[in-house]
Order: sequence, then structure tokens, then C-alpha cells
Amino acid sequence: MESNVPVSYQEVFSTDKGVVYQCDRTNRLILSFWGSTTPLSARDFAQFRRMVSTVNVHQMALSTDTADDVEILTIPRSERCYVLTLCEVIHLRELLNGASLMLELNSMLRECGCATLSTLG
Amino acid sequence: MKDLDRLRTLIKEPVELVLNQQIKMEMVSSSKYLAMAGWCDRNGYDHSAGFFYKQSEEERKHAMKLFHYLCDQGATAYSPDVPPVGQEFDTLRSVFESALDQEIAVTDSINRIIGVCRREGDYATEELMKWYVKEQVEEEYIARRCLELIDQIPADQVYYLDKKLASVTYDENPFEDE
Repeated sequence: MESNVPVSYQEVFSTDKGVVYQCDRTNRLILSFWGSTTPLSARDFAQFRRMVSTVNVHQMALSTDTADDVEILTIPRSERCYVLTLCEVIHLRELLNGASLMLELNSMLRECGCATLSTLG
Repeated sequence: MKDLDRLRTLIKEPVELVLNQQIKMEMVSSSKYLAMAGWCDRNGYDHSAGFFYKQSEEERKHAMKLFHYLCDQGATAYSPDVPPVGQEFDTLRSVFESALDQEIAVTDSINRIIGVCRREGDYATEELMKWYVKEQVEEEYIARRCLELIDQIPADQVYYLDKKLASVTYDENPFEDE
């Protein structure tokens, strides 16, 4: 975890391009990607992940139309939007899917009464 | 670390997804039944038209039951896109054949949802889906019985057939309370 992040932030998943944290104080997931940081509710995070996973990357890769060079993704309940190239969409997808998997793992650990991710360190 | 998704809702994402797909399927069914009602109405089968208008309303209620369930439990319900449906049919028999096909597709889908609920350990949603299982037993019975009547009643007794089709019910449903 980077040294300048608030102490209440716990890293959920990170890649070279970004990090997803969870803040238990505010019940928010914090998406840090391409230099911008956005807090999201669990619902909005799931919705944004679905949005990113439904981007037609094949169309972006194969189309010669300039409109298909970038994808504009609006983050739910936020004034921020991402304008992403094909590679950036793939990077964001990797980050969000990784975070989602870790959240699912945390959920499974909690369900079976085991230690959660944070206590596992 | 808190389980934020669990705090938000008891419904897991795979279940939320299949329930939203089911909402869409029920709304498409409603639209198909409305088209059948319209066809029956313009071809003089007034009683069958009434039957399908009622079916169309029922399918919409089925969709809304799931929609409210998702919203009440903190999950996300999506208002579905309903694609265009066929408006024309060859015969009254083909209308009822389409109705049976639709009911079979819905039953299969309900069964798949229960499979997902069991895999995810979502017993609350499974309990809700049991109501749909019972409902489908009735719906399939009615559609099959109507096709039987079309076979049994002579073709020249169209008015009687139309009236009889609209009166089919499943009074002996073993899943219904006494």
C-alpha cells in the first residue's frame, strides 16, 4: 500500500495501473486508476464493473472508425468519466475483476466463519 | 475487512443477474401474450382474446414480483428492453402452440434459477422461486389442455371452442393449498 493513503483504507487489489481500496469507516470502495481516485458504494462499484466488462473490445480492436478508438465510461453517481483506449479498458477490467474476486473471497471467508482478508494480512 | 456487498444485500451477483434475466423473460412473455390477444381479438375469438389479455397481465405481475423483491433486498433491478414480438399467427392452434412453447421456456428458466440459488446458497430466493415453480405447473397444464380441446372439438364449432378455451383452469393443482 502507498504511504500517503489514509489509514482507514485497506488494499483490496492492485495492478501496475491502479489500486482498489476499501474504507470500512465510510463503507466505500476507492478506485485509484490513471491518477484519479474515486470513492464508490458497493452497488456503484458492481455496476461500474459490469459497465467496463460489457465494453466491446473486439469492436474497438477491429474497427477503423475513429469513434471506436476510445470508450467513454461514466462512473455512477460521479461527475467523473474515463475516456479510455483499448489498452486502458483492458487494464481497468483487470483491476476491477481482480478486486471483485478478492471481495468475493472475503465474503466466502466471512460466510464460513474464517478470518477475513484484513486479518490474514 | 467488512463484507460491503453482504451489508448491501442478501442477494449475490449471480442470482441478481439471473433474476434480472427472468424479469426480462416475463416482460417478453407479457408482450407475446398481448400480441396473441390482439390477434384473437381481430379474428373474432373474443373469449380467447380475453384469456390472453389476462395472461399478459399475469406475466407482468410475475415480473414485478421479482422486480420488487430485488429492490426490497437492496439489489439492483433493471427495467428490461423488450424486443419486438411476432404479431401474426396462422391459426388459433398456432397461437396456443406458441403459448405452450413460451411457458416451457419460462419453466426451464425458473429451474435454472433454482440451480443458481442452490449453488450460491441463497435459500431465501429459492423459497420465492418455489412459488414460480407451482405457477408454471398450472400454466403448462392450461396451455396443454387448450391444445387438447382444439384437437377434440370439431372445427365447425368455432364459437364453442373459443368459449371453452377461455374457461380452462387447473382446479386440481396438487401444489395449491386446500
